[in-house]
Amino acid sequence: MSHIHIPDGVLPVWLWGAGWLVALVALMIASRISERESVRRKVPLLGVISALVLVAMSTEIVPIAYHVNLTVIAGAILGPWMSIISAFVVQVILALLGHGGVTVIGLNTIQTATEMILGWLLFRAFVRVLGRPRVRWAAAITTVLTLAVTTTMLVGLVALAGAGPAAMRETGALNPATLRFGNPLDGGVVNVGLFGGGEHAAEEESHADESPLSVTRFAAVVYTLGPIGWLLEALVTAGVLGYVARVRPSLVFEGGLAEAEPPHFGDEHGRH
Amino acid sequence: MDVTFVDSAAILGSSRLHAASAGAKVAAFTLVLATVVVTNDVLVLLSALVLLLALAAGMGMPLRRMVPLALYPAVFAAVFAFASAPSALSAILIVGKAVTAALAGVVLMFSTPYPQVFGIVQRFVPGIVGDALLMTYRSLFLLAEKLASLSTAIKLRSGLSGRQPIRAFRATTRALGGLLLYALDLSQREYDVLRLRGYERRLRVRALPSADVAMDRALLVGAAGLLGITITVRAVPEAVGIYSWMLAALSLLTLAVTATVRRRKS
Repeated sequence: MSHIHIPDGVLPVWLWGAGWLVALVALMIASRISERESVRRKVPLLGVISALVLVAMSTEIVPIAYHVNLTVIAGAILGPWMSIISAFVVQVILALLGHGGVTVIGLNTIQTATEMILGWLLFRAFVRVLGRPRVRWAAAITTVLTLAVTTTMLVGLVALAGAGPAAMRETGALNPATLRFGNPLDGGVVNVGLFGGGEHAAEEESHADESPLSVTRFAAVVYTLGPIGWLLEALVTAGVLGYVARVRPSLVFEGGLAEAEPPHFGDEHGRH
Repeated sequence: MDVTFVDSAAILGSSRLHAASAGAKVAAFTLVLATVVVTNDVLVLLSALVLLLALAAGMGMPLRRMVPLALYPAVFAAVFAFASAPSALSAILIVGKAVTAALAGVVLMFSTPYPQVFGIVQRFVPGIVGDALLMTYRSLFLLAEKLASLSTAIKLRSGLSGRQPIRAFRATTRALGGLLLYALDLSQREYDVLRLRGYERRLRVRALPSADVAMDRALLVGAAGLLGITITVRAVPEAVGIYSWMLAALSLLTLAVTATVRRRKS
């Protein structure tokens, strides 16, 4: 689950605000480290790999509302620091094209970057354990594990956002019981009575357990549909990395900045 | 997602919205987004959506290409709404927020060349991030075109059909693998170009001045007015919220008038 498909104005302000803050700090650190050397090579590489992820994401499998992400491949090629930059770039463009909210760009960047970095880390570890000839298995296992982790992150986010109405009033989240957004200035944490309506706080608290955002139902849906997507993504990632490992092994095992090796004549079938 | 069409619509369009400055449009977009975030009233949300449609229709923008793009996130929002919303009305609100925010973004991108939008984003992000944004959008066109031609080649040679799913899958992954290699070669070519042009850690985008200052003001006043009404409805729902249907009726009337004028013109 490379990014959360939750529209603007549904998650509480503190949550997406914190997402932006964490993403921007990570982006600053990643930029500073990436700018230390060979920026001329990194900028085009970032551009093409981010574009590749965007092209993959634009193809949707409608019945299960899933699209291929290629984030593990992007992570394996870009490495951890450039992955953070790429995740941010991808989310900004997606948001501007109407896919994913603008307020959740920060959270989405964290989600996508986690997927890329975990992908990079696990893929290298599995290649070391299983050996280069089993690159497809390494890619498939990495993808399933990575997507399982990020899907759990998504459920965690919804759990954080989907507290009962009393908490929503304090955080500014949508209260599904009343279809009102909680006003952080309306009773609760900061009681200044600016907009009035503080008298409803006790009433809301009494309904707190009646209709919270259903995290259980949400988890049931994503853990039911998710594995289909994980499997598809794992098959695609394994297929693509397996193919590229045969024709350009350095790209897969050393990353996108590695020099291209000269072709080995007579080894067109990749028996290396 | 036909990015080539989006780009040509933004560059070749000649409406007053196209003539407005990118800064004003991005500011208006931000205000509309704030409206989507703040509102908890389905009718106010509907009004924002209809007013955006009226704006696009009034400016002669290609609605048939824009609306499907704006509806795309509705699929995912519907899954989220189905999974977590406690009632049909709150599900409508969640999907409505996704579509309205997406339409605002689509109107912006269909009326503003991407370097102008990214030029504004560049001011707030580190140099390498701003440059990567521009490079990504440029590469997106090339890769989308390449994938389209690869898909055609696969259809002709391997057959992307439901009858042979394993064969089709293998062909697709090879196409994606080929696309990845093409992307890496493209990156090398772009590196050569950057080196030749003496790239020094910042791709400069020259901001184009506004060709229609009145439109800039109208956009900002309209978006700020919408946000103002939304905040008022949220702050004093008992007194003002009951009249939100009037805003929805007014916006529907505006859409009807602009649609009629557009039909007569064409």
